[in-house]
Amino acid sequence: MLKLAIKNGFYRPARTFLTVLAVAAILAEILMLEGFMSGTYTQLRKSVLERGGDVIVAQTGISNFIAARSVLPQQVRAEVEAQPGVAEAHPLTSLMLIYEAGGRLSPILVVVYDDAGGPAAVTEGRAPQGTGEITIDRALARRYGLAIGDKLTLSAYDFTITGITEGAAAIFTPFAFVTFDGLIDFYFESDVGADIAAFPLLSFLLVDVTPGADPAEVAATIDANIPDADTFLPETLATNDENLGRELFGPILSLLLGLSYAIGALAIGLFSFAAVRSRKKTLGVLRALGFTTRHLMAGVVIEALFTALLAIPLGVAMASGLATLIENISPVYLIETGNPVGLWRTGAIAVLLAILGGLAPLGTMRRLDPATAFRG
Amino acid sequence: MFNWTFRELFSSPQQLLASVAAVASAFALVLFFEGVFAGESEKIVALIDKTDADVWVMQEGVGNMHMTTSFLADWKIDAVAGVEGVKKVTPILYLNSVFEAGGRNWFSFVVGMEAGDPRAGPWEMARGARAPGPGEAIIPEVIADSAGLGIGDKVRIAGEDFTIAGLSRDTFSMANSITFVTLDDLAETISTVGTVSYLLVDAEPGVNPAELAERIKAEVEKVNALTREEFSARDYSIAVQMGLDIVWIMTLIGGALAVLLTGFIVHSHVSERERELAVMKALGVRDRSIYAALLLQALAIGLLAYALAVALIYLAVPLVGVLSPKISLGVTTAALIRSGSTAVVVSLIAAIIPVRRVLSVDPVSAFQQ
Repeated sequence: MLKLAIKNGFYRPARTFLTVLAVAAILAEILMLEGFMSGTYTQLRKSVLERGGDVIVAQTGISNFIAARSVLPQQVRAEVEAQPGVAEAHPLTSLMLIYEAGGRLSPILVVVYDDAGGPAAVTEGRAPQGTGEITIDRALARRYGLAIGDKLTLSAYDFTITGITEGAAAIFTPFAFVTFDGLIDFYFESDVGADIAAFPLLSFLLVDVTPGADPAEVAATIDANIPDADTFLPETLATNDENLGRELFGPILSLLLGLSYAIGALAIGLFSFAAVRSRKKTLGVLRALGFTTRHLMAGVVIEALFTALLAIPLGVAMASGLATLIENISPVYLIETGNPVGLWRTGAIAVLLAILGGLAPLGTMRRLDPATAFRG
Repeated sequence: MFNWTFRELFSSPQQLLASVAAVASAFALVLFFEGVFAGESEKIVALIDKTDADVWVMQEGVGNMHMTTSFLADWKIDAVAGVEGVKKVTPILYLNSVFEAGGRNWFSFVVGMEAGDPRAGPWEMARGARAPGPGEAIIPEVIADSAGLGIGDKVRIAGEDFTIAGLSRDTFSMANSITFVTLDDLAETISTVGTVSYLLVDAEPGVNPAELAERIKAEVEKVNALTREEFSARDYSIAVQMGLDIVWIMTLIGGALAVLLTGFIVHSHVSERERELAVMKALGVRDRSIYAALLLQALAIGLLAYALAVALIYLAVPLVGVLSPKISLGVTTAALIRSGSTAVVVSLIAAIIPVRRVLSVDPVSAFQQ
């Protein structure tokens, strides 16, 4: 049956090509969805891990970086730096602002830093160094056609773009970076000045520990001695943000993936059904020669498996190409199609769908009359 | 030709059903994806729309509620209240936060409302108090159910414990759930003194909201004022634009899938009916007419699939609401028009796929055994 199934595959190359292409496109779509979610979680993790520091200090009760507002009293920095094992504590804050141009509105997460926690990858220009300077991510630059030296107006305050970063975005939101000097000027000179008292000046501290000190022990010491602060190892805070992302996007991912699997099963079922219909006469001959329904169905399932096996590498290549294209057009997205777990899972699902889809024409096969072989 | 087209299409109802279902699922994927963004976009403006203030006042330079920050000195409450045509001013504090409930973290927008005044509070309750008292919170019923919590249980917001006093409805979506606490509690939690985020302004009867907004901007220092419609439209626009690129990408992917599936179906029809096509050609039917017939078949499959996908999404909206209340689905006219246009384009492209096959059919083969 294996030989017959493979022979059938090559008998009508145009139909086989279309079938393989369609299954590959479905697999590519599944890989893209998985890659989109995986990329979203990676972006959330990177948002924390790229800030640096051995220990991160936040407001008591705040256990996330990206989605929560943390406000630390100013004196906490000095208190943290006084703890044993602490070499230096670098201040960090962030604020959400809306950039509006050409009738479009885009939220931006502005990360404010001093001497640590700034942009991890400046691909053009340089990081901001003082008042009125801002570095923006390529996602924002691409969306609005912004370049180094251009003005970026936020709350009626004009920043000058000094650099373009790569990969600084999370949850569809590009990041921008300014220094604390830049923030103070922004607060006083922009429209927000009148109500400055309410704005956060210190959200997190990025703590460098002294050489040889254990970050976990230093974190425990800070926790024990400073009631206004909670401490996290960067990995823990990153995991918290990733988990929040899973909580936010998990249900919808399951729904969309479920729908994609349904498309896959329906499509492969349709192909198998069409393959059986188009070869009724041949199958009738086989039935007349004594082949049972089980034998014939095995042939159809093998053919579906053969299609799936050809489609898997093509689907992976298609997903990878599409992901690169999308990331270039809209860099706010990160689509990780090369995740080995996702690849294996999708491959296994393709095989399962092929088996399920291959069984679709079971009814037709059961009703197949050997006399078909002798009709004109 | 017209009769032949539809007779052939309906000659195998099983195959037609499978074909339409496969193509419909590709369209449904696009509609579902877009539906999620539409559902979230509708929820993002729920507070603005449902509280139905005539004018919203915020910090100058701010024109949105979500994904931004607004703070106003509290003396501006009285200043706005003193503007001619203002009936009532209701201040709120507002911030995005992550709160802990039932051992899990939940993203939520937290609204600090004046104790005892439900004006800016939840608009639909499942049970419990409509306005929180000191130390109390009103959380979405969906979160309470998922976390296994009820009235009297504790949740932790920014490190502070709050007792659940009420469970609200229509206040939850994946990225836009709303929690209500008192303004004083929230101010203390986030260490702000003497500030609020937004003012909900109710106008005197007969006062034009747009004119009132202009008057407030002119008379009160450094504030922005927008009518409810403007404010809501701007926030809706933010949500839509955040998902715009990815929705287009999914539309293209879903469209490409539909092209391949429809193309395969039409190609199979041609392959199975080569002899009939040969007879037609022998009888003088032109290739052009055969293409038109194939195009009609592709269009019929595409449009039937589109209709099925639309039916599925309309069925899914209430069903998902019951089975998976964490997901908010919405259907917009724009999405329906876009998918409908995609269905037509898909059919046109798919009909091209079997062209070579049709050309290769030899009329002589009709007379060969």
